[in-house]
Amino acid sequence: MVEVLQQIINGIAIGGVYVLIALGLTTVFGILGIAHFAHGSVSMFGGYLTFFFVTSWGIPLLLAILIALLVGLVLGVLIELLAYRPVRDANHINAFIVALGLTMMVEGINLELFGHEQVVIPTDFSRVFNIGGVTIPELRLYVILAAALLIAAMTVFVERTKTGQAIRAVAENRDAAILMGVNVKTIPLVVFAISTALGVCAGVMVGSLFAIAPGIGEGLVVKGFAVLILGGLGSIPGAVVGGLVLGITEALAAGFISSAYKDVIAFVVMISVLLFRPQGLMGKA
Amino acid sequence: MLNVSNLRVSYGAIEVIHGIDLQVNQGECVALIGANGAGKSSTLKAICGLVPATAGTIEFEGQDITNQSGHSIVKAGITMCPEGRQVFPQMTTLQNLRMGAYPRKDAEQAADVEEMMDMFPILRDRAHQAAGTLSGGEQEMLAIGRALMARPKLCIFDEPSLGLAPKIVAEVGETIARVKEMGKTILLVEQNSAMALRLADRAYLFEAGEIVLSGTGAELQSHPDVAKAYLGH
Amino acid sequence: MRLTALTAAMVMTAGAAWAEEKTLDIGVSDALTGGGAVYGLPQTNAVKLAAKEINASGGIKVGEDTYMLNVIAYDDKANPTEASNAVRKLIDRDGVKYILGFCCSGATGAVASFIEYEDAVMLVGNAAERSITTREIPNLTRTRPPADYTGAAAGTFVAEKGHKRVAVLGALDVGFYASYVDAFEKELEKAGGEIVSREAFGLKDRDMSPQLTKIRGQEPDAILVVGYVEPAAFIYRQAVELGIDVPRYGFTSGSEDQFTRVATSEQMEGVWDLRPTELTLLSASENGKAYHANYTEEFGIAPSPSSPYSYDQTYALKDAIEAAGTVEDTEAVAEALREIAVPDEVVMQYLPVDDKMFDENGQAYTSNGAFQWQGGNWVFVQDLPSDAAAYSAFLSTLDD
Repeated sequence: MVEVLQQIINGIAIGGVYVLIALGLTTVFGILGIAHFAHGSVSMFGGYLTFFFVTSWGIPLLLAILIALLVGLVLGVLIELLAYRPVRDANHINAFIVALGLTMMVEGINLELFGHEQVVIPTDFSRVFNIGGVTIPELRLYVILAAALLIAAMTVFVERTKTGQAIRAVAENRDAAILMGVNVKTIPLVVFAISTALGVCAGVMVGSLFAIAPGIGEGLVVKGFAVLILGGLGSIPGAVVGGLVLGITEALAAGFISSAYKDVIAFVVMISVLLFRPQGLMGKA
Repeated sequence: MLNVSNLRVSYGAIEVIHGIDLQVNQGECVALIGANGAGKSSTLKAICGLVPATAGTIEFEGQDITNQSGHSIVKAGITMCPEGRQVFPQMTTLQNLRMGAYPRKDAEQAADVEEMMDMFPILRDRAHQAAGTLSGGEQEMLAIGRALMARPKLCIFDEPSLGLAPKIVAEVGETIARVKEMGKTILLVEQNSAMALRLADRAYLFEAGEIVLSGTGAELQSHPDVAKAYLGH
Repeated sequence: MRLTALTAAMVMTAGAAWAEEKTLDIGVSDALTGGGAVYGLPQTNAVKLAAKEINASGGIKVGEDTYMLNVIAYDDKANPTEASNAVRKLIDRDGVKYILGFCCSGATGAVASFIEYEDAVMLVGNAAERSITTREIPNLTRTRPPADYTGAAAGTFVAEKGHKRVAVLGALDVGFYASYVDAFEKELEKAGGEIVSREAFGLKDRDMSPQLTKIRGQEPDAILVVGYVEPAAFIYRQAVELGIDVPRYGFTSGSEDQFTRVATSEQMEGVWDLRPTELTLLSASENGKAYHANYTEEFGIAPSPSSPYSYDQTYALKDAIEAAGTVEDTEAVAEALREIAVPDEVVMQYLPVDDKMFDENGQAYTSNGAFQWQGGNWVFVQDLPSDAAAYSAFLSTLDD
């Protein structure tokens, strides 16, 4: 029992990271129908930036995260304006190619600026809590809490603010949203800014809890899309449920079936879910 | 209030509206009638900024709004209740209504939601239900309520009775009559000519992208060409 | 800066004044980017450093001629296809005959499969997959001993410590790590011990707490971590975080820096690394200390422990070319490589077989050591019980 609980705790942290990545992907997909592959690499850029601020400029961690977040907001706006807007009305394959090109570009920039060695954002949190045999490192706890907070904030934003509702409205019916007075040119900017900022948070979490290295972002974006499909394309609750399910499944699979096939098992679970619910866990038929 | 002159609209190389003129005055209910594909909906879309006008001008309250973006036309005071309801299916009834007030910043939005629910009691029962699960008639009420939430000066209804059961069509008619009584200016597009002309103060008859006839609702109702238009000859 | 340039110019003009110098291009194929770059980049730097030193002390003398070394390095990303392309480019386009580097087994194996038919000599560094030297390819040598040679020594050592139930967590989809564990298991079982579980992780995995949680449930009396430095560092940290307090043994060959970037020194305290006696400051010979200092000055970063494999290759190549008396005849140079004694300049501590650096398989053997993390450093504690001659004889019996 302790072992099951421990594995669930193990899985929640990485699941939270998956959720944050998937939230960004799902809102972008919902609004623009774009598979934004570069999201993982851009997120890692945010993590690298935080690392750079902390280690090279000696900026305190929280402030560094804040600056990286602001950079993320701006970066998101620039990506929408410079990369995706020009192909907005073109064939979908164009946006697809832009996404792939952008991924390679950002990976290249990361490699050029931050090198090939793995980077770990230094933190002072090394305590470990032990609750009835289940251990949880302090940093992991903070990552889980921060992820929960961000998910809650995102939910409140989407459900309770006019801009958030406009994002949903555009995703559900673009023309009707225009008739409500929604400016469909600014909404994608907002979406990209928020998505990228969430991605930066995920990057910081990966970078402090684990490490950032070339290829990690690409791996995460694949998991992010798996979460999207698992949870239901474009669905925000789907991203939350899907991310946690994937993270916990991976941990349980590694712990109780086989660590060599943990990714395979996670994808088998995904495929099984889709056999019974083709629209995803929270998707609408 | 609304003054459309020499409007032309094209989809690609194909022109579908060939230079029309129409006016809507303050407090009036004006109907656009005609067969399917005669150009009524394209005219509305051009007014609302959903499709560009290739020529001509659209003036609203003395201001040129030709080819302005959709959201600024809403801000100017024109709201459309679109064909096929176009509710946001996964958002709740309440969220749909609030979405109608998107451009507003005043404090009376919550009161207006209440007012809409008084006007359409069924919406109160369905307040927390996803709009996509509502029946066609309920969705039409929601779409109308949502349009009114913007407190528009001009309210455009595009085919409000399309695809609804006859009993519901009558209800929709009554609702539009109530909206008219509220003092709203209305531009109504309908294939159901009988209902449209009964409600309208004035009407325009469309045929192949041109206005071929105009007059009061009563005049058109008794005009032989109207019947011809609806038979599609 | 200007002064150095000036001095260099003076040295060069002075050199040109009294002798006709020739240039010998040597190639490097190694991982300069990607996951393998933690090994490949330092190796490439080490070749450049050795070449610079050789040039500074007069180059390679072949008869009347003196050759200055020029290094051409390509990135093979530790990828078999990229490595094959890089080596083809070096041989066909750049006309290179001597190719060094090779940190990673997959890429190295691909090149080894065709190098026999080329007019070239291949010197393998850090790649540890055994099969690279089992086929007795005449124009291939390797400075690093195969993983199972070290694994067997490690198994004996851990068994001598009295451990009976060992849990393994390793990059087991990588051949040479698996062979290290197999050889380890054989020796452990001889002493009555057993491996209670074999858990795997991938090169990009950084969260090994699920595997460690499972291991914790099995209550082993030691764990063995076998894999690349970067994930391994996380395993040591997460083991502490999960409250696993049994001795931790490993086969990772990482520098202090690479570990402290991930785990605190307290979390690392007491960890054993059972590996070839590579470069560590506290164990280093005079050569090793000089290498560490020169490398750090040249590249602004400390050398990785395994980087001298390629540094030593360069000196072995120099001795072989001088012994063969030719740069053109690669067959003669390859033969000479198998005959030379261990060069004086090498950094690693080689155990010669029949007084030669490389055995008939083209394989060199270093001593294996037990290193322990003590107060922030890898401290050499003792030699592992390794037997180069016996292993060399065993290797000669294999031919796959």
